[in-house]
Amino acid sequence: MNRLDYLVLIATILAIPLYGLWRTRGSASLGQYLRGDASIRWATIGLSVLATQAGPITFLSMPGQAYESGIGFIQNYFGQPLALIAVCAVFVPIYQRLKVYTAYQYLGERFDQKTQLLGAFLFLIQRGIAAGITIYAPAIILSALLGWRLNLTIWLAGGLVIVYTVIGGTKIVSITQRYQMIVILIGMAIAFAVAVYRLSPDLSFGNTLSVAGKMGKLEAVNFSVDPHKRYTLWSGLIGGFFLALSYFGADQSQVQRYLAGGSLKESRLGLLFNAGVKVPMQFFILLLGAIVFMFYQFEKPPLYFNQPAFQRAMESGYAPQLSQLQAEFDKLFAQKREAIRALSTAPSNERDALTNKVRDLDAEARALRDRTRTVLVQAGVDPKSKESDYVFITFILQQMPHGIVGLLIAVILCATMSAMAATLNALGSTTAIDFYRPLIRPNATDHHYVLAAQALTAAWGLIAIGVASFASLVENLLEAGNILGSVFYGSLLGLFLTAFFIRRVTGSAVFFAALCAQMLVFLLFATTNIGYLWYNLIGCAAVLILAPILQATLFRSAEASAGV
Amino acid sequence: MSSRAANPDARSWRKAYGLTLSLFAVEVALLYLFTLRFS
Repeated sequence: MNRLDYLVLIATILAIPLYGLWRTRGSASLGQYLRGDASIRWATIGLSVLATQAGPITFLSMPGQAYESGIGFIQNYFGQPLALIAVCAVFVPIYQRLKVYTAYQYLGERFDQKTQLLGAFLFLIQRGIAAGITIYAPAIILSALLGWRLNLTIWLAGGLVIVYTVIGGTKIVSITQRYQMIVILIGMAIAFAVAVYRLSPDLSFGNTLSVAGKMGKLEAVNFSVDPHKRYTLWSGLIGGFFLALSYFGADQSQVQRYLAGGSLKESRLGLLFNAGVKVPMQFFILLLGAIVFMFYQFEKPPLYFNQPAFQRAMESGYAPQLSQLQAEFDKLFAQKREAIRALSTAPSNERDALTNKVRDLDAEARALRDRTRTVLVQAGVDPKSKESDYVFITFILQQMPHGIVGLLIAVILCATMSAMAATLNALGSTTAIDFYRPLIRPNATDHHYVLAAQALTAAWGLIAIGVASFASLVENLLEAGNILGSVFYGSLLGLFLTAFFIRRVTGSAVFFAALCAQMLVFLLFATTNIGYLWYNLIGCAAVLILAPILQATLFRSAEASAGV
Repeated sequence: MSSRAANPDARSWRKAYGLTLSLFAVEVALLYLFTLRFS
């Protein structure tokens, strides 16, 4: 990075929060602080919802995921449009009608306080950890590659978010996310265009895609019914539906985004906007990863993308082994490049044999990377983050023109800031409204609760930074967030669906059903190897089945709620 | 709001949901065609 890059980076990440602070100057009522105000329109809501979900991992890890395993990850998003429609039809009208600050207040009104607290607790524990991963993920990679100090990176990015989120509340989160998302979309479009432009002139774009497809990178839809396969149409549609339904319907960090609008119509339009654009957006990000993969079939990539770890191993006495691996890799790369060139121009009767040859060479290259990783572990520089997380950022730093590099680093930091701001805003609001207000200070003034929400938002920010300091235990950043969500979301969603659709169930029955469901998911997570998206379905189904059974047996005498 | 007044609103939202679903179906179909073409 040169001065131009730093100028673009600093201007971008500072200008948006400063503009947000200017727009939200002056004191806010509790309603304005927690729910925004009527001036927020559907476009801002839509971009804000998009930015909250995207996060830095989407832009750092997802192209690397496609580089490594192809674009099949897109299927994880197939349940989302369906879930968003269900949220628009069922959840949003209830939240808007009750004018709740948090989704869990609804559980308190429909059931009882302990169920409200359980819902809020499941959210806080899951999101509190996820907030740490959100900030750690880009910090570890940027600090390693750019030579920034890890803790300083975490504190600078996290500190800036804490300051503006505490001051401006929900409205500033929505406003800043709108512009951060615009920067992100522009940055990613430029990255896509530059990556296509940098592809080898030996192959047309169509030929490039054909070869990528033959190398197994472009299978977007897989109809397999094997539950051990992580990405299939069915796991995406069914498991993805339940994950998205819990996330958009019961996760306060999203609920707060779409309740920020002035009306039911604005909230619904913002969500439907997401239903339309999410799958294409993720497709282009994954395709970008496949294009980077093809770029590195003609331009020699590093043997190991996590170069700082590689260099440390070289300097700690493992240079002979690594040099040997590098020599093998160089030879293999040249053979593979020639095989790919031959494949792209081969007559149809030779294509199958050449495809097999290219695939074999690619498998050998991957085996070499695995052997390199083993050497790195032996050298004591065990890289905790997955190597594929370094692919896209390496491409940015080595292949993009100056200025664009700064913009794309800003994209990653904007994504971090927007996702973290939404999370802190929701964590602070939930702790203030669902725990502090009913349990500690039930009859204070609105101004007191605004101050409490601000203090709790700051406290959660500091906790997130603390979690980020321990996040090095997490290996795959992209998967970690989704796995964590899937483990907790099923039972949380079960609470809400029981509230909406099973009227005779009361608080105690659903409370213990959710506890049992959560135990079941923990047990399955610890003892089986099923695709994690299925935990959403299992946890939710367990609550929906157990709650009526408990109601009809142990809690028979309890008076059934009338429902809301 | 009377149910008669609410109905047109509910109908237009149903149309919006239908449109969103159709768009999603087209997106999945295009992805499937993409898979067939390049895999």
